[in-house]
This record gives sequence, C-alpha cells and structure tokens, in this order.
Amino acid sequence: MKTKKMIKTLFAGLLCGLLLLALTACGSSTPVIGISQYGEHASLDNCRIGFLQGLAEAGLTEGKDYTVDYQNAGFDDNVAIQIGQRFSANNVALMCAIATPSATACYAAAEDKDIPVVFTAISDPESANLTGGNVTGTSDKLPVTAQLALIRRLQPEAKTIGILYTTSEPNSVSAIAEYEASAPDYGFAIEAIGVTAQSEVTQAADALLARGVDCLSNLTDNNVVGVLGAILEKTNEAGIPVYGSEVEQVKLGCVAAAGIDYVALGRQTGQMAARILRGEAGAADIPYETISEYGIYINSAALAELGITLPEDVAQTAVEAGAQ
Amino acid sequence: MALLELAVSTLTQGLIYALLSCGVYITYKILDFPDLTVDGSFPLGAAVTAVALTAGVNPYLTLLLALAAGAAAGLVTGLIHVKLGVRDLLAGIIVQTALFSINLQIAGSNLTVERGVATIFTAGPTMALFGGLSLLYRKLVVALILTLAVKLVLDAYFRTKSGLLLRAVGDNSTLVTSLARDKGSMKILGLTVANALTALAGAVVCHEQRSFSATMGAGQVVFGLAAVIIGTTLFRRVGFVKGTTAAIVGSIIYKFCIQAAISLGLPANLLKLATAVLFLLILVAGSARKKGGNIHAGAAARSENL
Repeated sequence: MKTKKMIKTLFAGLLCGLLLLALTACGSSTPVIGISQYGEHASLDNCRIGFLQGLAEAGLTEGKDYTVDYQNAGFDDNVAIQIGQRFSANNVALMCAIATPSATACYAAAEDKDIPVVFTAISDPESANLTGGNVTGTSDKLPVTAQLALIRRLQPEAKTIGILYTTSEPNSVSAIAEYEASAPDYGFAIEAIGVTAQSEVTQAADALLARGVDCLSNLTDNNVVGVLGAILEKTNEAGIPVYGSEVEQVKLGCVAAAGIDYVALGRQTGQMAARILRGEAGAADIPYETISEYGIYINSAALAELGITLPEDVAQTAVEAGAQ
Repeated sequence: MALLELAVSTLTQGLIYALLSCGVYITYKILDFPDLTVDGSFPLGAAVTAVALTAGVNPYLTLLLALAAGAAAGLVTGLIHVKLGVRDLLAGIIVQTALFSINLQIAGSNLTVERGVATIFTAGPTMALFGGLSLLYRKLVVALILTLAVKLVLDAYFRTKSGLLLRAVGDNSTLVTSLARDKGSMKILGLTVANALTALAGAVVCHEQRSFSATMGAGQVVFGLAAVIIGTTLFRRVGFVKGTTAAIVGSIIYKFCIQAAISLGLPANLLKLATAVLFLLILVAGSARKKGGNIHAGAAARSENL
C-alpha cells in the first residue's frame, strides 16, 4: 500500500514538473531567438544589449519579427548545457551564445537539428572549434599592440608590465602569449602571474607589486575583472597605474584602455544574426568576424591621481570614461 | 513535441550525471565519507576523454581510460586518508586541488572536440544499433544503457563478500575489524570505485558536449550529495528500491528541477534560488508522507536520512 501511494505521489510530482515545463515551452509562430549568456557581467551584458540593437538596426522588430528567450547560466557550465537543450527542444530559430562555455553548450545542443548558432565574446573561435558547420559570430580578441603603444605613450620610462590571469581561461592564456611576443617591440618586459580561482587574485596582485612592476594591464579575464575594485585599492596605494582592456574597466578606475566596445561587438553580431534569420545567408556561409576597431578610453580622475599627463594627440582621440 | 524533447534531453542529462551520483552514493551513503575529490575527478574524466578523442582513440575505449584515471584519483585520496592519516574532507580537498592543475596539464587548456570526430553517440557500432533514431533519442538510449549497466554491476558487487564488507565499513566498522578485515583498504577500494564512476560521468559529458573545461567540476560534489539525498529520502520507506536506483532517480529529479527553474522564466539571477525552493519542496514532500503523526519519530528519521 505504502509503495503504491509513494509511486502515485512520485508520478504526480513528475507530472507537475512536466506541466511547469509546458507553461513556457509552448511556442508561438514568431521565430524565437534563444540568447544564452554565461553570466551577469558588464561586458557580457553589453554584448547582449548590442546584439538586440544590431537586430533592430537591420530592420527587425522584437515582438513582430522575432521574440527573445534570454537565459543566463550564472557562470555554471552545467546550467549552460541545460539552457542549450531547452533552446533545441523549443526549436528556436537561432541561438545567440555569449562567451565560450555557453557557445560550446549551444553548439552541442544544436547538433541534432542543425539550428544556427551565432556567438560573441569569444577570443579564439578556432581553438574552441566553433568555425565549421552551422555556426558563426564575432571574436573579441584584444588589441594587444595598441594597448602596448598606449602604455608606452603614457609611461615613457616604464619597463615591466604586470598581468594577472586565470590559467584555465584559454582567452587569457592566448592573450598572455601575445603580450609576451609583442612586448619587446615596445621595450617592455612582461611579469605574468596565473591564478586558478578568484580568491587568489588579490594575493597575486600583492606578489606582482612586490616584484616592482611599473604598471598593470588587464585582460578580459572574468576572475580578475571580477575583483578589479580590490586590485585598484592596492595599486592606488602603491601608486601604480592599471590599464584596462575595455571601457567598463576604465569606468571602474583603470587609468586608460585600448579596448573593444562590447556594445559595438554585439551590434555586429546582431546584424549577422539578422541576415541568417531573413534567410539571406546560412551561418555556415558567414565567416566569423574579429572586431578590428578599438577605442582609447581614459579616466581623467584616475590619471590625475597618479600624476600621469596625457599627451595632446592621445587626448584628442580618447573617450572619457571616468566620472565627469 | 517541444515538451517531449525537453523531457528527453533532461532525462538524458539525469542519466549521465547519475553515474556521478552513484559514485557519491558509495562514498557518502555507504562509506560515510564526504569525498570532495569529485570536483576534480569529474573534469579529469572529461580531460582524458577530450585528449583521447582528439588523438583518434576509439571512442568506447576512452570510457575505459577515464575509468582508470578516475580510479587512480580515488586511490590517491584513499591512500592519503588511510595511510597518511589525513582527515577525510582534507584528503579530498588536497586531491581535488591537485587535479585542477593536472587536468589542465592533460588537456593543455580548455579543449573542444570537432563535430567530425565520432563519439559514443555517433560512432559506427552505435549507429549500427540505433542509427534509425535521431541524435536526441540516441543520446538517451546510450546514456540509459551505460547507467543501467553500471547500476547492475554495482548491485551485483554489493552482494559479493567484498561488497558486503564495503557496506559494513560505514554502518559498523567494528564488525569489519572483528572479521579480521582492514577497514582502511575497504575505504580505499570504495573511493577508487566511486571516483572511477565520477570520471566516467565526466567522460560521457565530454562525449555529449564535445568539450572539456577546467571549471566544469565546480559544484559537482553538491550536485552528487543533493541527488543522493533526494533519491534516498523519496525511497526511504520502500524497502525493495536499491540505493543505486535512488541515486539515479535523485539525479534525474535534480536535472528536472534545474530545467524547471530555467523554464519558469524567472530573472536569471534567481535561478539558483528557484532550484533551492524546488529541492526543499521535494524533500519536505518526501519526508511528510509518514504513517501516523509521531513527530519525534519523523524528525529522527529525517535527521538520520539528511
């Protein structure tokens, strides 16, 4: 008897669960774009905002031409997998994946039905194997040489650049290799310290400062950028400037950055998605694009605090990102 | 249709991760050993598999490689705990920490496997048997076969003399000693098997996702514990249900909860909260079904199970 009751309840529970899924699984006739974002993070949010702008610029109206199913994995790879499967089961017209773990999950989930995947915020689509098949997108490879040139202009005497990075982030590892290859051309040496988790970042920052670096330069490393505030506290105390890799970091207090505008990157991605949705081209026919333009962003307050004067020509092209 | 497909892919996830929860069942429920090695041995299986698949190793063989790698990890945790006398939690933490670097050394960096490379879901023998099914259902069938095979082997093992001794270690370790058996070596054996299964789960996830990432292990211990506790709580009063079945059902329920939370369409940052509430509801529902109203007995039973 007990067993019967138990099984009954179990089935009732499962049915409830299924109903719950049904509530949101029902589709309408307008094509759905599934956006899978790895986590909440200013740069990734900007990608998504830009993506939607790009669709609008291409003449598509949300609600009429498409609807959006936005999901966020909260930086959990396993949740990213289930988000991709939801999109596939719901037969979305297109998946937009923001950051690498979400892109690999979406691409795996799309394999069976060959749903097009458009990614953004991936530094190295080649090594992530996101180049063949029904997939395309935009890459956010850092403009490393531009950053080195900028640092040289602002700190003519500097010798070593310190960089913190996460050893498990392929984007960061490849950026470090590029920094090390290009630094001698600008007369710099690189002191890089790798960490495995966010909790180690501030300790690593102390270690870098103890090695007497002349400045710090950031990558788009999620662990490091996540505790940028704590790093800046230490560097400001030591009188060492930190250069960002995109505008959001300069807003937080980095002195300057030669960096990507993630909204622009997202817009470019949105326009690619619009072409696919309209049937003008398949994702397989569009090669992935690397954003070539970068902006120079400055934070005047931070520059002044560290006594760095901005050369006239840099000042003319730079965009003020700090508090006015 | 969409709903059915979503249920199928979620069930597939549940079955694949059930390999891990069966492992955690051995350490947590049988050995009473909170094994944190899992967060490292799960990606270890995926790392070995990603490298082997890329190198052109037979996809089915990669599962054995992953099993061996995971077994080695569990063996090390066991040796550190039993031979060096390091506390259970710490022994797991040490190996888990070491594995983070080792996994990256094995795979070089996060690694993805090209679509052209055959996996256990697309390789010749699988296609010969289940080629008529779409990839979605093929994944379900393969996962089901693997998980059932592991379950049956484990159940059979638990009935052997060695299996009975293993079960005695957590329940009544004095008994093991009084039988002139070394409970330390039984613990080592249990950890080895458990982590071999965990690595197998990582390997299958790597086949399914075609990728290894260094951070994929984060939170797997928590998942495994939750799955085992959900499963055993639900089946607490059903004598004939085996622990392995409970662990498998727990894993499936867990994955359905996550998918339900995703599908609820709540703001993204509330996902974990929604998942937590669903777990709580299931656990409460599982504990509430109790004959009679003896609160104390109920509470005692609960605390024994949780």
